[in-house]
Amino acid sequence: MAKLSKPAKIYLALVFFVLYAPIFYLIFYSFNSGGTMSGFEDFTWEHYAAVFNDTRLLIIVLNTVIVALLSALISTAIGVLGAIGIIFLRNRKMRNAVLSLNTVLIVSPDVIIGASFLILFTMVGVKLGFASVLVSHIAFSIPIVVIMVLPKLQEMSSSLIDAATDLGASQRDILTRVIIPYIKPGIFAGFFLALTYSLDDFAVTFFVTGNGFATLSVEIYSMARAGITLTINALSALIFVVTLGLVLGYYFFNQRSGANAGTGGTRP
Amino acid sequence: MKGIMRASAAIVIISAVLFYAVHLLESSSATTGSGSISVYNWGEYIDPEVISQFEEETGIQVVYETFASNESMMTKIEQGGTSYDVAMPSEYAIEKMKENDLLLPIDHSKLPNLENIDPYFLDLPFDPGNEYSIPYFWGTVGIAYNPTLLEEQTFESWNDLWNPALEQEVILVDSAREVIGLGLNSLGYSLNSTDLGELREATDKLKTLGPNVKAIIGDEIVEMMRREEAAVAVTWSGQAADMMWVNEDIDYVVPEEGSNLWFDNMIIPSTAGNVDGAHQFINFMLDAEVAAKNAEYVGYSSPNAAALELMDPEVTGDERFYPTEEMRDRLEVYENLGLEMLGVYNELFLEFKMDMEK
Repeated sequence: MAKLSKPAKIYLALVFFVLYAPIFYLIFYSFNSGGTMSGFEDFTWEHYAAVFNDTRLLIIVLNTVIVALLSALISTAIGVLGAIGIIFLRNRKMRNAVLSLNTVLIVSPDVIIGASFLILFTMVGVKLGFASVLVSHIAFSIPIVVIMVLPKLQEMSSSLIDAATDLGASQRDILTRVIIPYIKPGIFAGFFLALTYSLDDFAVTFFVTGNGFATLSVEIYSMARAGITLTINALSALIFVVTLGLVLGYYFFNQRSGANAGTGGTRP
Repeated sequence: MKGIMRASAAIVIISAVLFYAVHLLESSSATTGSGSISVYNWGEYIDPEVISQFEEETGIQVVYETFASNESMMTKIEQGGTSYDVAMPSEYAIEKMKENDLLLPIDHSKLPNLENIDPYFLDLPFDPGNEYSIPYFWGTVGIAYNPTLLEEQTFESWNDLWNPALEQEVILVDSAREVIGLGLNSLGYSLNSTDLGELREATDKLKTLGPNVKAIIGDEIVEMMRREEAAVAVTWSGQAADMMWVNEDIDYVVPEEGSNLWFDNMIIPSTAGNVDGAHQFINFMLDAEVAAKNAEYVGYSSPNAAALELMDPEVTGDERFYPTEEMRDRLEVYENLGLEMLGVYNELFLEFKMDMEK
């Protein structure tokens, strides 16, 4: 890679500063004993203590994570199979139609998706709560996974499959030993994107939460009505640190598996 | 494939562990006792200590959830799928919910503490005989202002807002009935006017207020006034109390022509699952000591006469937030004007806002 020139470095630093400044501003005031976001008084941990003393808030955080993990997992499974199905559709018109229907779900406003889920759930008689949130998150994540996996499938040469068939691989072998290992990076990318979508979704979740079950974004919205308390700042700081840890972890995991692939060849 | 399987298994295991953690947390906060009730209230509208006190005394666990507007609350209840046992809507929402059969009648024999409530707040037009609702808090609409940012200006009348010296200084609350009501009041008309001529006159008069208006916003009003970014705001008494809490310079006044008197009430939605627990909760909130504690935390005016005696006389004697009965006679409660009239109010409010953009 070419070395960056000095103006380029300055520009890069500036962009990152603008992107990260609000987050650090928020974190900075989470240590303020003053109680508001104006005027820093003294250093204190009390807002962090408040986060851990508020069991309701902790339950909500854990619930948010559970919903995100499970919905990302399930939608990845469905989305990958869906993408494989789409790519092997013979009829070109049919394939385009299915793809467009998938895209429509991504671009249609969250509010509409949320409202239609609310109507659907109440019509079917599903009690709003964990299940309704999980199902709706799975539903809006599937199209995202499909979009992430498709390019990998498209770039895969069909001769790979022909070769596998010639060597006597069954349909099942082709799927688990050829296709899925090939599109693995796409699968992981889809999973992580679905995870983040679920974690920060507000509009859809707002409609389908109820009966004491809430996710973090919905709860913060309700709390913010009465002015943001510094407990929110403290919580945001904690989430930021955890996310940072996850990103670093993912980075090291990728480096290691990348190194393995380089030396270990393809066959386990 | 193996890697993906392993990763999936890890995710499932992590989720199971988290599930278990949630379960532990929930059982540690719950006291052993007869069931639970879920309460649906405005954000920051109850003292959390009061809830834990209720849980300790009765053994009923409270699931507490918040909403941000009457409309979103009604939608959630109307759609079903929820089972809130107690909710705290405003009076016009109660009339609407009553029409739509969303309320359960309240059994007064289960509420011995009801006698604590000042009779003035009982048997109001929106719910004769308090068949479906019990008063929770009440307040007014008025003008909050910061004298240090103004030159000797005082506010006795709504018409004082039209003072040319106030250019770009006034914030209005983003709510059709409050703002159109201001226009009606300033002309001496009723807040509940359905006379199209009066409404037109009020809107035209409001348009001349345009140059003075800095913004039409919602809950951000409190923060802006606290930071002295604006000098005058038309707002609810409770928001004014919130401002004064931080910025002591701010004052609040209910103009002499009259204004709106509003009530938030406790109701039992028709979807309630634990009606008995809901009655226990309402009765508990009516207890003098509990109501006093709650009112001190929330900062709105309590309708509980017995609680007022226990509170700081400096607070309860403050006529800005506890206007005397004589002053209250000038105030009007919103009546349910029906969907069609509400549409007219919204249309006129929109017209006023569009006019501002020019």
